[in-house]
Amino acid sequence: MPGIFVYADTVEACASLISAAYGSARGVCALTFDEKRADELGGYGADKVFLLKGDNPMQESYAKAIAALLAKEGPEVFLVGSSTTGREIAAKVAMYLDCGLVGDISSLAFEGGKTITTRYIYGGAAIQTEVLDGYAVVTVPKGKFEARKYEGKTSDVITLKVESDNRVTLKETIPLEKDSKDLGAANIVVCIGMGFDKKEDMKIAEDLGRVLGATIGCTRGIVEERHWLPAGSYIGISGTTVKPSMYISLGVSGQIQHVVGIRDSKIIVAVNSNANAPIFMAADYGIVGDMYEIIPLLTEAIRDVKV
Amino acid sequence: MAKIIACYKWVTDEADIRINSEGSIDFSKAKGKISDYDKNAIEAAMQAAQSIGASAVALTFGTAKAKLSLKDALTRGPAESFWVCSESAEKADGAATAKVLAEAVKKIGDYRLIICAEGASDTYARQVGPRIAARLDLPCITSVRGFEIQGDVITATRKLDNRTEVVKAGLPALISVLPEVNEAPIPGLKAVLDAGKKRSTEFKLQDIGLTDADVAPRTEVRDFKAYIMNRKNIIISADTNADKVKELVANLRKDGVI
Ligand SMILES: Cc1cc2nc3c(=O)[nH]c(=O)nc-3n(C[C@H](O)[C@H](O)[C@H](O)COP(=O)(O)OP(=O)(O)OC[C@H]3O[C@@H](n4cnc5c(N)ncnc54)[C@H](O)[C@@H]3O)c2cc1C
Repeated sequence: MPGIFVYADTVEACASLISAAYGSARGVCALTFDEKRADELGGYGADKVFLLKGDNPMQESYAKAIAALLAKEGPEVFLVGSSTTGREIAAKVAMYLDCGLVGDISSLAFEGGKTITTRYIYGGAAIQTEVLDGYAVVTVPKGKFEARKYEGKTSDVITLKVESDNRVTLKETIPLEKDSKDLGAANIVVCIGMGFDKKEDMKIAEDLGRVLGATIGCTRGIVEERHWLPAGSYIGISGTTVKPSMYISLGVSGQIQHVVGIRDSKIIVAVNSNANAPIFMAADYGIVGDMYEIIPLLTEAIRDVKV
Repeated sequence: MAKIIACYKWVTDEADIRINSEGSIDFSKAKGKISDYDKNAIEAAMQAAQSIGASAVALTFGTAKAKLSLKDALTRGPAESFWVCSESAEKADGAATAKVLAEAVKKIGDYRLIICAEGASDTYARQVGPRIAARLDLPCITSVRGFEIQGDVITATRKLDNRTEVVKAGLPALISVLPEVNEAPIPGLKAVLDAGKKRSTEFKLQDIGLTDADVAPRTEVRDFKAYIMNRKNIIISADTNADKVKELVANLRKDGVI
């Protein structure tokens, strides 16, 4: 009997969850709605796959059905890929089963029947370790665990018809403006902060980005308040986590909710006119000064060493 | 009058937290605040109430400390506030909080819409909204960036990871809102004066039919410590900007990142 159930709204995210659960010696069962790719999940290490089928395009609408399936199968842990959809399903399932839920974990371990998690709190200023004894739900950020392929491993795919809750109906879906590059996977990131006065001023940051071959990211306000860059461009606890070899912040104050998303960077560089800005505490190298002067100089200097 | 209920949490202001050198956390200077995004939830309730001629009310679950929040919440416009006061709030997890808020909502009664923020600024666990909806068996719309109500139907725009969705649901319902749903205004002097005249109702757990055992957390916190950053923290101090940049580039080359 599989000990850990996993669900994510994409096959890739599901494969990453299987990888987290694999080797726990408890067996892994994957839930998916992806009819075309359900059979790939065996190759990623799932011992059993449930292909869920229903007529409602919103996967959130199956939370109750998933809870009922889990109640019947009795796994020890339910790992859910942390997306908007995944978080909603996880929270509802946890409530239907009256159990704990730890969201957006930073680490995950299974020890003697217990699940041990860590996650950031207070915007990332502190880290909390929690122990879940018995049945629990855990949501896992995208890309936390690397998916692995297991040569020759396959699994049965069991198709299951599931009931949906049709009280919320989908009227329209609008794809988001797609970023040309994946920020989370970028090797160098140039980050634009609210220190920029005008949209046109971002050009100097983009020039710097170009000589570095960097991907442009930003802080939350640049997307949500000023609408200068597409959603998905901002870095932090409610945005993307980056892990580049170098991250350069320009006019970013370094509030904790942003900094938590850059901690996995190898080298952090900050340019800010305020010597007391908290970003300098998070940085390897800091330049205190007016970025409008410093950025073009930096672009020049890097162009010189690159040729 | 039918109600729109905005749920909010009184949290420790993370900006006041000091980290001691050995990694412990000093809360002694920390003040409380209404969780940032909950201010948007309260404002969303105000706008919704106005659009359908309902009354906006605020609801919180907190320890005795949360008493300070009532006036702040009322200053933001709601006609009255409800507070479930219990020391168990200190250790409450999402399971416990959602149970308490759901039962309080039932007690308040005659509601059309419950509005939560996506997450609180301390734990940012993003689970209480959908948990309440599950417990009350209400239609639930999460990650809402805009909405309107016409008659008995709410139409909301949701932000998802790679798309936006427009969805509809009948009322009563629960929504959890993103901060971009509105701009929460800073209350003026008149609002502050008015708040003093509004009614606040305090519930104990037994008033809403719950016991301490019902609100025992489902997760056990084993450890809690400051995140210590391990960085070089070198501020480059040359005379001119050009020299600073030169030195930075030299360092970056040494580190092998350019
Ligand atoms: C629950 C919650 C979640 C959040 N999630 C996120 C998140 O995921 N990501 C995120 O980014 N934020 C998030 N925030 C917001 C976060 O707290 C900060 O408000 C935000 O990161 C600040 O952005 P900023 O540094 O660009 O702007 P500011 O704080 O306004 O800083 C601008 C900086 O620019 C500097 N500056 C100005 N002019 C110049 C100049 N000419 N040269 C050099 N420097 C200059 C200033 O000194 C200042 O330090 C969240 C907040 C909450 C409450």
